[in-house]
Amino acid sequence: MSEPAPTGVIHDIGYRHYDGARHGRGYTIRALMLHSLRGVFGLGRTARSKIIPFVLFGVMMLPAVVSIATMALLQRNMITYSDYAIMMQVLLAIFVASQSPYLVAPDLRFRILPLYLSRPVTPRDYVAAKLGAMSIALAMLIAIPITAVFIGELVIDMPGPPNTSGYVGSMVSAVVYAVLLASLGVTISSFTPRRGLGVASVIGFYLLTSAVSGVLTGVLLSMSRDDEAAWAQLLNPFFLVNSAQTWITGESGAGLTPYPDGLGGPVSALAVLVLIVLSVTAMLARYRKAASA
Amino acid sequence: MNTVIAGITYRALLGRRRIWMLILLPAVLIGLAILLRSIDSADHRSVVLLMQNFAIGMMLPLLGLIAGTGVIAPEIDDGTITHLLSKPISRPVIVRTKFAVAVSLLALFAAVPTFVAAWLMVGFEADIAVGFAVGALAGGIAYAALFLALGVVTRHAVTIGITYALVWEGLVGNFVPGARRFSIQQWAQSVTDWLSTSERIDVETTLAFSLPALAIVTVVGVVWAGTRLSRFSFTGDE
Repeated sequence: MSEPAPTGVIHDIGYRHYDGARHGRGYTIRALMLHSLRGVFGLGRTARSKIIPFVLFGVMMLPAVVSIATMALLQRNMITYSDYAIMMQVLLAIFVASQSPYLVAPDLRFRILPLYLSRPVTPRDYVAAKLGAMSIALAMLIAIPITAVFIGELVIDMPGPPNTSGYVGSMVSAVVYAVLLASLGVTISSFTPRRGLGVASVIGFYLLTSAVSGVLTGVLLSMSRDDEAAWAQLLNPFFLVNSAQTWITGESGAGLTPYPDGLGGPVSALAVLVLIVLSVTAMLARYRKAASA
Repeated sequence: MNTVIAGITYRALLGRRRIWMLILLPAVLIGLAILLRSIDSADHRSVVLLMQNFAIGMMLPLLGLIAGTGVIAPEIDDGTITHLLSKPISRPVIVRTKFAVAVSLLALFAAVPTFVAAWLMVGFEADIAVGFAVGALAGGIAYAALFLALGVVTRHAVTIGITYALVWEGLVGNFVPGARRFSIQQWAQSVTDWLSTSERIDVETTLAFSLPALAIVTVVGVVWAGTRLSRFSFTGDE
């Protein structure tokens, strides 16, 4: 009686167990945030997608360069630090509008989201990473030109003490601008998988608020109803942040007309917070729905 | 003109979320007109401010962008344009049809609400309402052609279009008066100025310059989009 020859063979094809360090959720969020932040400026993407962010960044730097030159040649500082974001609001709006759909639209359109969510990334992590990336990008866009002017002011050694408190205040408000604009922009564009429509919706939101604010302020000023004009001006999100900033720092505002006194400051600060909370909540709800679908 | 393509384009534009943008902006314009009327501010100064800042300065370029790029750019973006281009239909005819659709949408969502808003504020006084409505239509036709061509040429049509409308027509135009000669908004307003007898409307460009300029932008835009689409390659650039 001979035994039958074995027919099955187990090959060792080299599968290994992963023994390395596990970096955990925090690392995933940071990785996704860094990847998104690079993408906002077109790094790691095609040469064409670098053009728009870097041209906008260059234009953001122009007033800073001009200001440093006038300080060096004429000993005069043309720029108030806290007014920089207001002065450049159209460019910031175009930057948010053109770049925030890139952050969220392709993942929705090519149905990449389930791939992220099949990992330990939760919808909340994803939203945090995307909002964080856009906020950091915008904060850089506002803070770098102002810092350049401040360094210029220190190096050139202008007559009188340097405006350090103005600089610090504008850095804090740069973060507030960045978080508010990023929450609004990324949330609005997360509702459509189409990039073009996303760009149009975000810029539409800015144009709508700024045009309504401009028309109402203009008409009310011409009727000498200055108090109501001051409130109407706050419909523009940039003036809203600036109003909260002037309430806290006591500097003069950069709007067409002074901001409302008394309740105006606290109400603006509260409105900024409410806008941020509302848009983040809407975005979280949107991604919970996308995750369960 | 091809009625089937027109029907498909209307469905694509009106059946999706785009329509909310097309409705929201005119609704806010009419709402503002009612608000200004209710606070007794319905004089020529206010109506011209509302029309110049909101209707012509903001709503017209934005709707022109949504309608002009919306009729063709999404199809190029997801590649469904190949189904259309592989049919025996002249590609310039496709472009002309889509241009006509964009113009009809702008007439409905930009020119008509402009007329209604101005009429709510001042009625038929000084032909302000008619002037701005016709101006919006003339500007809308030029914007539709320009943004349609941009949508065929580049995938960043919306960003480039908005930069033209905001930075060139808005910011640069404020500092450099010469830039205002090359602004569709100014050309549209010179049509308004010609129709209306109101003193409040002042424009930089003359009608003799604006009308040919509008016509040239429109014709060049449509023809250019047609030739670019004729050379559109199914296999990409490589």
